[in-house]
Formats: sequence, structure tokens, C-alpha cells
Amino acid sequence: MAARRPASRRARRTAVGVGALLLALAGCAAPVSEPTTAEARGWDDVLAEADGQTVRLWMYGGDDKGNAYVDDVLAPAAAEEGVTLERVPIADTGDAVNRVLSERQAGVTDGEVDLIWINGENFATGQQAGAWLCDWTSMLPNMEYVDPEDPLLTTDFGLDVNGCEAPWHKAQFALVYDEARVEDPPGSVDELLTWIEEHPGRFSYPAPPDFTGSVFVRQVLYSVAGGVDNVPLEFSQDAYDELAPELFGTLEDIEPSLWREGQTYPQSLQELDQLYADGQVDFTMTYGPATLPDLVEEGTFPPTTRVLLVEDGTIGNASFLAVPSTSGSRAGAMVVANLALSPEQQLAKARPEVWGQYTVLDPERLPGEVQTQFAELPQSEVLPSYAELSEDADPEVEAGWVTALDEGWRRQIAAG
Amino acid sequence: MRTDRAVRAASRTGRGLLALWLVLPVVPLLLWAFADRWTHPALLPQEWGVQGLAEAAASGAGGAFLRSTLLGAVVALLATPPGAMAGRALASRQVPGSTAVLAVLLSPLVLPPFAVALGLDVLLLRLRVPAALGVVVLLVVAALPYTTITMRAAYAAHDRGFEDEARLLGATRWQTVRSVQLPLLAPALAGAAFLAFLVGWSDYIVTVLIGGGRLTTLPLLVASAASATGNDAQVAVLSLTAVLPPVALLVVVGMLGRRGRR
Repeated sequence: MAARRPASRRARRTAVGVGALLLALAGCAAPVSEPTTAEARGWDDVLAEADGQTVRLWMYGGDDKGNAYVDDVLAPAAAEEGVTLERVPIADTGDAVNRVLSERQAGVTDGEVDLIWINGENFATGQQAGAWLCDWTSMLPNMEYVDPEDPLLTTDFGLDVNGCEAPWHKAQFALVYDEARVEDPPGSVDELLTWIEEHPGRFSYPAPPDFTGSVFVRQVLYSVAGGVDNVPLEFSQDAYDELAPELFGTLEDIEPSLWREGQTYPQSLQELDQLYADGQVDFTMTYGPATLPDLVEEGTFPPTTRVLLVEDGTIGNASFLAVPSTSGSRAGAMVVANLALSPEQQLAKARPEVWGQYTVLDPERLPGEVQTQFAELPQSEVLPSYAELSEDADPEVEAGWVTALDEGWRRQIAAG
Repeated sequence: MRTDRAVRAASRTGRGLLALWLVLPVVPLLLWAFADRWTHPALLPQEWGVQGLAEAAASGAGGAFLRSTLLGAVVALLATPPGAMAGRALASRQVPGSTAVLAVLLSPLVLPPFAVALGLDVLLLRLRVPAALGVVVLLVVAALPYTTITMRAAYAAHDRGFEDEARLLGATRWQTVRSVQLPLLAPALAGAAFLAFLVGWSDYIVTVLIGGGRLTTLPLLVASAASATGNDAQVAVLSLTAVLPPVALLVVVGMLGRRGRR
């Protein structure tokens, strides 16, 4: 569920847009959209100011393991640095962005949001309104373990991160299947499309703009285009006009072979998960494979659940921690973000029994013993290692693509 | 006589069906709340347990329950008296342009709470209104249409002759209100308060946006838990917890109503 959530719910995203419009109408003062930059200063200085501050971290609250990690592992570590970390559970990250936009509009300087678990559209929305504090991540001592060239961490859905958010963990799109029911698992997205036609009624995907359904459509786009190299990541109408007919043609072709002949699609990933759990379809998919072992463990998914490794690679992304410019505890928030990047915290978070999230740290930059500890992390039968899963990982396209493809899907597939 | 019995039997069957209709949706919730493992295609949970309870407790359901109850109670307490006054004024037909006044009072029903919350958020922040106060004020406004409509209907059926009679017999204005008006209108007041309580009890968006995350109420926990796969037991426990106070209140209101009719 990891990275899927912060960016999920396009419906709410529209609401964020409507909200921003309302704000613009409601506020007499013109909104300031230049980003606030953090003043450069020494880390000791930051630590001294952070001492005694309370940091309120707004995050998607549906992941029990994530909640427990923050409450039981991250918060005590923050307390040792003199920072009180409080978690605010929300159903949707857009709620946090809305709050920040309101506070910014009202000129609040000691707002209720100090840190947000975020990525994708929600980050972009805030960035447009200049809602984030920028140029602060380079001050974090633990950034030395992060590869400054890693494209997954320097951009967020095609938008330059610009030091406005600190990496938290990586996620990888994964196709999930039941080994007991799929005898001949396909080895590529192209083979999957053939499999779908050979096994009518056993596959479906959530209707975009569901976050995961939308990723699946982009995965098919990469496949029909003959690889990610043939898709310009930057959106242009020309590229769209050239690639979209092939994509939607393919999706139309497989439609009669989908669950219920494609007359209806699951409206959310949750619905597809339910269909999979009930044995009505043989595949599901996720942008947060970390939760799979748990879903198998608690019996929601069958024990023969496996991740499909496709030779063309799947789309990967990362999620981040952003500090709103309205936060009154910026120093404290930076201390927490730095802590979250420490090898100890990243290792703890990577443990399957804690949360099982993939690290953002570059193994080659880590001390030898930490490298070994990462290598020795217990492997789950259900979930392949990050190295295996992210092999030939594809980058996310720019947010402009996402909007255009979702709209194209609505017009051609949903209506057609 | 026979028709009388038939009518009574039909009424009993009707009430039975209605009760069944209300209780049925709760049955799967109850099953889920105590199911540690319940997978397709099993008809009943394969493993019973209290994992859902533990998860709900760990997510802070206890504190959230208290905060929700308090919020609902405060909203009911503040929204009922003005609702009663507005209802009385509107029912007396002495208000010029009463239709227009009613329309204004009902307007919170028309606007989506999301728009209201976002629109007023900035204003409340600029005025430095404390978050909790802002939540209460907005929810009271949202509850006013319900209390006003309920009380308007009650006052329309209320015979002012009783009050005039009491005044003629020498009761003071306050005595008339306390000993005549309030007892006669108690069931309606309880009903109005119940509706207002529900507004505060079930709100999500105002609590999140205006409350700024300070008020973690039950709806916040239910919403965040329900947006993921595999939390069914926890969501069931939280939802059952959320159903209890309104049901308890409904029983109380029902009893008051019965007493009022006697």
C-alpha cells in the first residue's frame, strides 16, 4: 500500500483542485506561489532549535504496520533527539495538502502540519502553490547514504524534487498472481495480454483514475510502445497522439476477455483485491508489495500468492517526507526526516515483521556491516527482494501523461 | 374484533420485519469483529478471536470514542436551543418572509460540507479561532437545519392554549416554559438533539480540515482503516463502536417519546 496511498484517489485530487480554486476566490490577498527556501545552516544549529519541538506527521492511516512503525520505532528515536513525534492518521493525503493550502492562504506560521508522507500529484499540487519548504534536504547528514544521481529520488512523477522533500522509501509496481490457479505464468506484459485472451474472465484491473489501475495502463503503454525508451517521459500532445491509439486499441482488444467481459471494472484496488481474495480472478496488482506477506499471513490472500516477475521490468517510484512552509517546527521536522534516513531506521523499516519497505539508501555508500545486515534481511516466499523486483525498473512518466491517459481511458474504454 | 386482531398481527409482523431490516446489516459486522481469519469461500469465520479489538484499541479507538461523544454532545447542546427558538418563531407565522428565512436556515444542507469547510477554513485561521472551537461552530451550523425542522413541526402541532391557560392561572413566564412547554415538547427536543448529536458524531471532513488533526474522532479512524485491504476485523470493531452511542440514544429518545404521548 505504501507509495500507492499518498498519491491515490484522483477523485480527491479533483477536490483539491476545486479547493484551491475556492481558496483563490475566498482569499483577498493574491496567493504567494514562490517556494519558501530554508536558510542554510549547520546541523548542530538545527538540532539545538529542534530540541523540545513537537512534530505532527500527517500520514495515510490505513496501514497498521506503518502506523506501528512510526509509533513504536520512529517516535521513540525522535524523542531521544528531544523531538516529540505525533502521528495524525488521515484517509487521504489530499486532506493534509488541503490543510496546508488553507494555512498558507491565511498566512499561518505555526500550522498544524509539520511533516507529510507524500508523493506524486499531492506533492505537485503543493509545489504549484509554493506550499513546501525547499532546499533543506542537502543539510541532512544522512543524505550522504543516498545516491544523488538516483532518478527515482531526484524526481517525483517527473517533477524535480529540488530539496523540497526527503526520500522515505521506494516502491515497485507488482503484478500478483495465485500460483495454484495460474499454471503458466506469463513472463512479460505482452505475454500477460495473451494470457488474458486465453483465459477469459480471469483478469481485471481497477478503472483509472484509481492509482493502481492507472499504473497498469502505463505499464501496458510501455509494452505496446516496445519499451519505455520509446515513450518520452515528458508529456507532449504529439507523443500522446502517436502512442495512445495503439494503447487503447490493445485495451479494447482484451476487454471481452476480462472479468464480466469488461462491461464493468473494479472501481478501486480494494475491489480488485477482494475479487482476487474470493478467487473470482487470478491476478491482482499493487504499488506497495510490502503489504503482501501480511495479507497472506492473515489469510486475506491465498498462501500460494506470488509476485509476477516480468522481463520488461515494472514501474518504480519513491515516497517522501515534505515539510510545509507553514510549519512552526521546521527544525524538528528536519531532524525527524534525517532520522528516518538513518541506516538503523531504514533497516528497521525494511524488516518484514516491522513494515517491509524498500530502502532509499544506496548499499554501496553504507558501512560494510550495515550492507551485510541489509543483505541478510529474511526473504519472503511471497515477496521477492528489491533487487529482483526492481531489475530494469521503469521510471514514472510526467504527471501530464497520467492525466491525459486517465482521460483517454475514460473516453475510449469506459464509455466505448 | 377479528379485524382488530388482524391489524395487531400485521402491525407486529411489520415491526418485526423493520427490526430485522435494521439488525441484519449488523450481523456481518459482528461476525467480522470477532473473526481472526475469514476467507472465501467459508460461510463463517475459520478462526475466532479478538485481533480486531486489539488493532482497534492500538489505533486509539478509546480516546477517539470519548472525543466523538464529547463533540456530538456539545453540538447537540448548542444546536438544539436555537433550533427550538427558530422553530417556534417559524411555526407561529409571525416572521415576515418566513419561507425565505427557512431557506437560509436550510442552506447548510445544500452546500457540500467539503466546500463549506474549505471556504471557511482560511477565514477561521485568519481570525485565529482555536481549531476545536471552529469545528464546533461549523458543526452547530450544519446541525441547525435538522433541529429547526424538527422543532418547527413540533411547535406547529403544539397547542399554545395550554400555555395561555397556565398564564391565566397565575404562572410566571418561566414557570410556563418549565412546567408546560418543556414537558410537552420533550420528545421533539430529544429527537432534535439526537439529530444534532449525529451531525457531530459522524463528521469527517470538517473535523479533519478545520480541526487540523487535533481532534482524532472515530470517523477519522474508520475512514483511514477502511481505505486499505485486510483491515476488515478492525473496521468492523470501529464501526460497531460507532453505532453504539446513537443506538443507545435512540432508545432513550424512544422512551421519552412514549412518555410524552401518555
